[in-house]
Amino acid sequence: MNASKALEKTLVASPERKLEADADLDIVRKVQAGDVAAFDKLILKYRERVLGIIYNMTSNREDAADLAQDAFIKAFQSINRFQGQASFFTWLYRIAVNSTVTHLRKNRLRSFFSLESVREDDPVSKELVDALTDKTGVGRDTFVRELQEKLNDAMQKLSINHRTVVTLFEIDGLSHQEIAEVMDCSVGTVRSRLHYAKQLLQAELQPYLQK
Amino acid sequence: MKQDTERKITVEDLIRLKRAERPPAEFWATFEAEIRSKQLSAIVNKRPWWHGLARASAIVSRYQLPFGAAAAVALTWAGVHYYSASPSRVIPVAAVRSEAKVVVSAPVAAAQLAVAPVVERTVRTREETEVGIQEAAPVHEAVVTATASHLSKAPSDIPYDAIAKSPFGDGIAVSLADYREPAADPSRRSVFGTDRDFEPSIAVSRQAPSDPLARMDPAEERRSRLLAPALPAYASGSRSSLAGDWMKARASSDERMYESMDRGSSDRMLVGFRF
Repeated sequence: MNASKALEKTLVASPERKLEADADLDIVRKVQAGDVAAFDKLILKYRERVLGIIYNMTSNREDAADLAQDAFIKAFQSINRFQGQASFFTWLYRIAVNSTVTHLRKNRLRSFFSLESVREDDPVSKELVDALTDKTGVGRDTFVRELQEKLNDAMQKLSINHRTVVTLFEIDGLSHQEIAEVMDCSVGTVRSRLHYAKQLLQAELQPYLQK
Repeated sequence: MKQDTERKITVEDLIRLKRAERPPAEFWATFEAEIRSKQLSAIVNKRPWWHGLARASAIVSRYQLPFGAAAAVALTWAGVHYYSASPSRVIPVAAVRSEAKVVVSAPVAAAQLAVAPVVERTVRTREETEVGIQEAAPVHEAVVTATASHLSKAPSDIPYDAIAKSPFGDGIAVSLADYREPAADPSRRSVFGTDRDFEPSIAVSRQAPSDPLARMDPAEERRSRLLAPALPAYASGSRSSLAGDWMKARASSDERMYESMDRGSSDRMLVGFRF
């Protein structure tokens, strides 16, 4: 009962995730009972989102791949300590974010971009690129590449906490409550960090906003 | 196209562009193979023991403030308890004054080391010596001798035979005999007494000044007594000090000399000068 109350508190902003969390909890119970293969379902379910968070925090796809794998392995090794007081999704995100923050703090002086290509088959990104430019062909690809670098550059100028908040809220779509659970801070802190980070990004990306 | 769309671009729109940064499909095959091998190695290989220590230290680090506060309270309590209990072992200064107990200092203890091989006496620390003297004081009557630089306590429990066997036995025996001699110690009370006690004892022991004009007739004594208040030494108080007595005697002797000259000239002696 206590676990379900905590789960409700965590997922108050997104009730559809309660079903998702219950399904995850069933899988976790199987893994805890000794069914190691059941953990593959959790990997398949969350690998893209975990990789997306880490990639947008590091702006390096090789580091992101390693860190995502390490996060899943840590979750697998510690699965017996998971008691269900939070959702598995929040728990896994917290492991991934903490691993990434530790990695970023260790390699503060060594940071270089290794960017994935923007997939224009996504309707949102296609519409955005169309709104930003009237170019086609090589010129369009160059513009998108330049915008992508500028965007990642602006993200890396943020502090780790601000970058994490922006990533979890704007890119991954988590609610303030969920971000507060993942980052182990208050909702007010999340909102404050998000506001400040958006102000900084707006200043950095001003040339693209005027178009 | 830009002209066709009237939509305003915001920061949120630009950030959402990052959602489209995804790895290609073949990346996931490599990812899955790598994570499976890591998973298998995690199953086979046990975690090293220091991982448990790291986790324990992380748990302890949460309670650093309570642990620190508890340690500070415990240290404070221990300090207060120690310093409140320790004065019972220290000789009070008043007791030292009244019973003339002497604290043996470090140089004296070092001097006793020379006797140690002979009498097989262990040299104790200063604190132990204080306690020992306090306990042994009623038994040994605390023979105290003042030297030029410090006070020392004679080892009264040393037998003479043991000292005579040593190369310096004669000298030590003589010194011990001097120490053990129950001679009167006139300075015993004066040294540790108050100034009020000290002053009369010095005044008594001091000899009265021998005045050749001490034999004065009553008239001269009366005259000197009347003239005495005029002297500056009289104003110091009712108790006549040594300097006051001396100045008063000198003044009276001068007056007596002048008076005798006057008396001689008027009564019996006639001195005439004729030119």
